[in-house]
Amino acid sequence: MKNSSKIVISNLPAPLRLARPGKLVIWKVKGWEKSHEELRIKNYELGIMKNEIEKLKNEILSNLAKVKEERVLKDLEIKYLGRKGELTKILRSLKDLSEKEKKEIGQLANEIKKEIEDKFSEAKIAISGKSGQERVDITLPGEKIERGHLSPLTLVQNELEDLFTSLGFMVLDGPELESDFYNFTAVNIPPNHPARDMQDTFYIDKKNKDGEYDLVMRTHTSSVQVRAMQKYGAPLRCVVPGKCFRCEATDVRHEHTFYQIEGLMVDKGISLSNMKAVLETVAKKLYGEDTKLRMRPKFYPFVEPGANGEVTCFLCQGKGCSLCKNSGWLEIFGSGLVHPNVLKNGGIDPKIYSGFAFGFGLTRVTQLKYGIDDIRLFNGGDLRFLNQF
Amino acid sequence: MYISLNWLKDFVDIPKSITPEDLGLKLSVHTVEVDKVINQKEKFNKIVVGKILELKKHPSADRLQLVKVDIGKEKLDIVCGATNIKVGDFVPVALVGAILPNGLEIKEAEIRGVKSYGMLCAEDELGMGEDHTGIMILSGGKTGENLAEYLKLDDTVFEVDNKSITNRPDLWSHLGMAREIAAFLDLKLKEPKLDLDKLAKSKGKGEKIKVAVKDPKLCPRYMAIKMDGIAIGPSPSWMQERLSAVGMRPINNIVDITNYVMLELGQPLHAFDASLVKEIGVRRAKKGEIMETLDGQTRELDENMLLITDGDKGVAIAGVMGGLNSEISNNTKAIIFEAANFEPTQIRKTSQKLGLRTESSMRFEKSLDPNLCALAIARAVELAKKLCREAKVVSELVDIKSFRLETGPIGLDLEWLEKIIGEKIEEKKIINILEGLGFGVKKEKEKLEVIIPTWRATKDISIPEDLVEEIVRIYGCNNLKLEMPRVVMEAPRINKERMIEKKIKEILAQGARLTETYNYSFVNEDQLKKLKMEIRNYVKLANPIASQHTLLRQSLVPNLLENVKVNQSRYNEFGLFEIGNIFMDLTGEEDKGGDKGKLPYQEKKLGLVLAGEKKGEVFKKMKGIVEYLFGYFDLSAGFSSLEDLPGWADTKAAAKIILGDNGKAALGLVASLDSQVAASLNIKKEVAIAEIDFKELARFVFNKGVKKYERIPKYPPVVRDLAFVVGGKILYKDIKKEIESFGPLIKGVELFDVYEGEELGEDKRNLAFHLIYQAPDRTLTAEEIEKEQEKLIKLLEKKFGAQIRNF
Repeated sequence: MKNSSKIVISNLPAPLRLARPGKLVIWKVKGWEKSHEELRIKNYELGIMKNEIEKLKNEILSNLAKVKEERVLKDLEIKYLGRKGELTKILRSLKDLSEKEKKEIGQLANEIKKEIEDKFSEAKIAISGKSGQERVDITLPGEKIERGHLSPLTLVQNELEDLFTSLGFMVLDGPELESDFYNFTAVNIPPNHPARDMQDTFYIDKKNKDGEYDLVMRTHTSSVQVRAMQKYGAPLRCVVPGKCFRCEATDVRHEHTFYQIEGLMVDKGISLSNMKAVLETVAKKLYGEDTKLRMRPKFYPFVEPGANGEVTCFLCQGKGCSLCKNSGWLEIFGSGLVHPNVLKNGGIDPKIYSGFAFGFGLTRVTQLKYGIDDIRLFNGGDLRFLNQF
Repeated sequence: MYISLNWLKDFVDIPKSITPEDLGLKLSVHTVEVDKVINQKEKFNKIVVGKILELKKHPSADRLQLVKVDIGKEKLDIVCGATNIKVGDFVPVALVGAILPNGLEIKEAEIRGVKSYGMLCAEDELGMGEDHTGIMILSGGKTGENLAEYLKLDDTVFEVDNKSITNRPDLWSHLGMAREIAAFLDLKLKEPKLDLDKLAKSKGKGEKIKVAVKDPKLCPRYMAIKMDGIAIGPSPSWMQERLSAVGMRPINNIVDITNYVMLELGQPLHAFDASLVKEIGVRRAKKGEIMETLDGQTRELDENMLLITDGDKGVAIAGVMGGLNSEISNNTKAIIFEAANFEPTQIRKTSQKLGLRTESSMRFEKSLDPNLCALAIARAVELAKKLCREAKVVSELVDIKSFRLETGPIGLDLEWLEKIIGEKIEEKKIINILEGLGFGVKKEKEKLEVIIPTWRATKDISIPEDLVEEIVRIYGCNNLKLEMPRVVMEAPRINKERMIEKKIKEILAQGARLTETYNYSFVNEDQLKKLKMEIRNYVKLANPIASQHTLLRQSLVPNLLENVKVNQSRYNEFGLFEIGNIFMDLTGEEDKGGDKGKLPYQEKKLGLVLAGEKKGEVFKKMKGIVEYLFGYFDLSAGFSSLEDLPGWADTKAAAKIILGDNGKAALGLVASLDSQVAASLNIKKEVAIAEIDFKELARFVFNKGVKKYERIPKYPPVVRDLAFVVGGKILYKDIKKEIESFGPLIKGVELFDVYEGEELGEDKRNLAFHLIYQAPDRTLTAEEIEKEQEKLIKLLEKKFGAQIRNF
C-alpha cells in the first residue's frame, strides 16, 4: 500500500506545501478513494485474508529476529503495529466482515496480534540489554533552553515582601516624586531642621505660591509612613519597597538612585523588644539562622528612640574581613519607635498607640548578599551583570 | 569630627583596662558613630625623619631636583618638585610602601628617566594642615626616627561621623563626649573648674565695651570681654599638638585659644583686635552689603543675615566667619573675646546662601545652649592668661541676654516606660543613668520628675520618649530582650497591583526570556532630541548632579535604548524590560499634604525592548511577547493603527496595543525603532519597543475575574486549511474578524503562513489559515463543512477580493 498522499503533497505549490497534510488536500486527489475501495474489497476475500495475516506474521517475525538496534525496532513497530501500521489496518478492516467471518478470522487475528506484541516486547527487552554497547557520550549537554533574568533587586525585594506578608504586613507603594511635606515635615523634619542636611535632596524646579521649592525626589521610603497612617489608621502593619534619590555624585560606592524597603508597625503596646524581635527575624531570614543583631543608637528625626541595626558579617562570621571593614558587623537598617509627632501627623493618637518603623537599604542588602562591589551596576543595564541572576 | 583621647582624659579618668578600640566601640554602641579609631603612632608608618645631603638639578626637567637624603640606615635618591629645601634641612621622608593619610601609596618610581625611592612630604600630604607651599621643614631630629615619635605623637583620635550628631549640639566638644563616656562607664565627670562669678564681677580697669544687640531674636546672648597685654606668637606645643591631632591647624596663640575652647566646650568664639573695633553692634545686614571675610573672599550679604559691626561697618558675619578688617595680626596688643549665641535657622540659611560652612556655623545651627557662652569666655580668659604672661582683663564683662530654655520637668511614668521598652529596668539604674547625663531627677509616686540640663534643652529633649532613648542607649539597646509582638491575627490586605507587577516580571523573565533592568528616572534634552521626542511638560530637577540626568522621564524608552547601546556589541540578540514610573508636569492624583494641592502626574509603565538582526522578525517577536503576556492573564492583545506616533517610531511598523481585536482603549504601543533615529543614537541593531500602561493593564486583569472552566466538547473538531491571495492593503485583523463572525460552526481561525512573492503579483500576499469547524451537538459531516467553506470563500471573494488558491 503506497502512501499516495505524500507524493501529491510534494507536488503542491509553495504556500500550500507548508500546510500540515490536512484533509482538504488529500480530498483533492481525485480517483484515489475509488481505487482504494476496489482494492480493499478484492483483498478481503476470506482466504486471502487469512493468508495475508499469516504472511504478515512470518514477515514480522523474521524481521524481528534480525533486529539489533532499538531505532530499527521502533521503525518496525510503527510499520506494523502503529496507528497506520500494516497489521493494524488489516485488523481494522475486519469490522466490515459478516459476523461469522469476524468470529473466525477475528480470533486468529487477535492471537497473532498478541503473539507479535509479545515478540516485540521480548525484542525490546533483549535490545535494551544490549544498548550499553552503543557509544553514548553522556557528558554531552542537553538541549539548551534559554532563560530570562530578574534584577537582583527584585529577587531580594520579593524575598523580603514574602517574609513580611507572612508576618501580616501589607505591601504599599508611594509616589517617588514627593512633596516636601510627606518627605520631611510629616516625619518630623520641619523646614530648616539640620536633619535635612543628612540627606542631599533633589528638588524639583517648580516653586509654590510662596516662592519655595516644595517638591522633591523622595530621599527615603519613610515618606510613605504618614500617607499609610492617614489611609489605613491604626493598627497598621506595612512595608514599602521603592526607589529613592539623593543628590550625590555617583561612583563605585555612591549612587543618586537606590532602593529601600520601609516597614511600619503600629498597634497598642508595641515595644522596643518587639521591634528587636521582628528585625532579628528579618536578619536571620536574609543571612541565616546564626546571624546576630546588634543595635546602636542613631538619630532619625522620625523615631524616638532611634537605632541602626547591624548583623554579624556573613562572610567572616563576625571575625572581621574586608567586607565589614574588620568590624565583624554590617550595617543594614535604621529603626526606632515611631515619634509621637509622626503618629499625630498620621492621625493616630500616641497616647493609645505606639509603633516601630525601620528602613532597609534594599540596594545595600542586595550588594551584600551577592557581593556586588560596584553600586552603579544596578542602574547600568549591562547584561553581563544582569544575566548572572 | 575628631576627638582626642588625651583631651578626653582631662574630664574623665578612663580606666587603663579599656583600650582605645574598646572605647570607640562603646561610644558607637551608646552614643555616636565612631568611624575610625586612629592611633597616631601608626598614622606615620614608614614615614621617617631625613636629612638632606645633596641637591642636584634633574637632567631633563627644570622644575625637579634630585635629592640625596640620609635616613639613618641608608641614603636614598629621591626626585622632588619643591624648591624650599636646602642641604642640611631635616624633612619628613615617606619610604616606599608608606601610605599617606590621603591614601596615596608611595612606590618606587621613575620620574623623567631618574629613579626615585620615596617622597619628601608637605604638611598637607601628612594630614597636618593645609600648607602645600613646600616641604615641611623640621627643626632638627634624628635621621631615621619615625615621624610620629619625632612629633611626640602619643594620642589616639576617634573619627566621629558628623551626621550622627546633628541632633546633639553638646557632642560637638570634648566635654560633651567625656560626659557620655562617664555616663556609660559609670564614672565621675570632672567638670571644668571656672570661676564665672569672679569673672562677672571683675571690672578690670573699668573699661566699658559698647555693645548694642539690635536683633535679640537672632542673637539671644552676646558676651564680650577685653584683654590687653597680649603678645601674639605661636601657642605652646601641648596646645598645638591637641589642635593638630583633631585636624585644626595652629595659627597663633589667640586664634588657637578660640579654636581650642570651641573644640573643648563646643562654643565657637571670636577674637577681635581691640584696636580695630570700637563700638560693637549686632544687626541684620543690608541687602547688597559687602564684607570681606577672613578667607579673603568678598561676600555679598542680605537682610536675612546677621552681622557684627563696629559702628556701621561689618566686622564679622555672626556665627559664620570673622572679617578681614578686624583680624588678629602679629601686632595685636589687645583683644576682645566674643562668646555669643545665635539663632540656628538664620545661621543655617546664611551659611547655605554664602556656601560657607565653618566649624562655627556647623555648631550654631545645631541649637547651642546660651549658657555655654559664659563657660567658654571664662575658659578663654583663663587660657589667654596662661599663654600670655602679661594678659589681663581690662573691661567689664558684657552680657546681653534674652533667652528662656524649656527645662521641664518631664514626667516620666515608670509603668509606661516598662511598657514601651518591653521590660523592667530597675528604678535605681534609671535614676543613675539620667543623673550621669546631667538630668535632675525627683521621685513622685510612680513617676520621675526629670529636669533637662540646659545643654540638652535647646531642642534635643522635650518629651518622655526622648528620655526613653537616653535610658535605653546607656543601659544598652543590645541588653534588651527580644519578644515578638502579640497582636490580633489578621490577614494582610492584598496589594493587587503589586501582585500583578510581580507576575508580569516572572512571565517576562521566565516565559519570554527577557532580562529585567532598572534604569534611572532621569533623561536629558539632548537624548530626547536625538529620539525626536517632543520636549513638553517635562518635570525638571532644580539641582541636577549630572548633565545627563536633568529631566524626569516621560517614557521608559530613552533609557531602554541606552541599555541597547550598552549591550549591542556583545550580544546578537537580546531583550530587556523594566517596570518603572514616569512623570509629567501635569496635575496628578496624589495629595501634596497639608491642603497644598496635588503632586505632579506619575504613572507606572512597563517597557520592553528587543534588539536583533532582522527588522521584521524583531517586531514580530515583540508583538508575540505582548500577546503572550496578555494571554497569561487570559486577555488577548490586538494591534491597530497608531495615529499619534512618537518621534522614534518607524512609521511603517508601529501599532497601538488594544484589548482583543476591537478594543477601544489603547494600553500602549509597539513599534520598530526608526532607522534614522537608530543611526543618530549609534544603535546598530534592529530594535523593537513596546511600552504598556501598567495601571490600565492591571485594571483589565482585575476586571477579568475568575476564569471559568469550559466543558470539553463531545464532538470532534475538523480542521480545514484555506489559503488565498489578497491585496496588500487588506488587514489581517479585518479578515480574521470576518471569518470569526462568519457562522456558528467556525470555532477558531489561526493564521499559519504569510507569503509574498513575485508570482503573486505586485502588492499581493497569500494568507493561509487553519479553520476549525465544530458543532456542540453532532459530528460534522464532510458535506456540511464543504458547504460552509464554499460560502465562506464566496464571502471572502466579495469582501476582500480574495483569490482562493485552488489546486
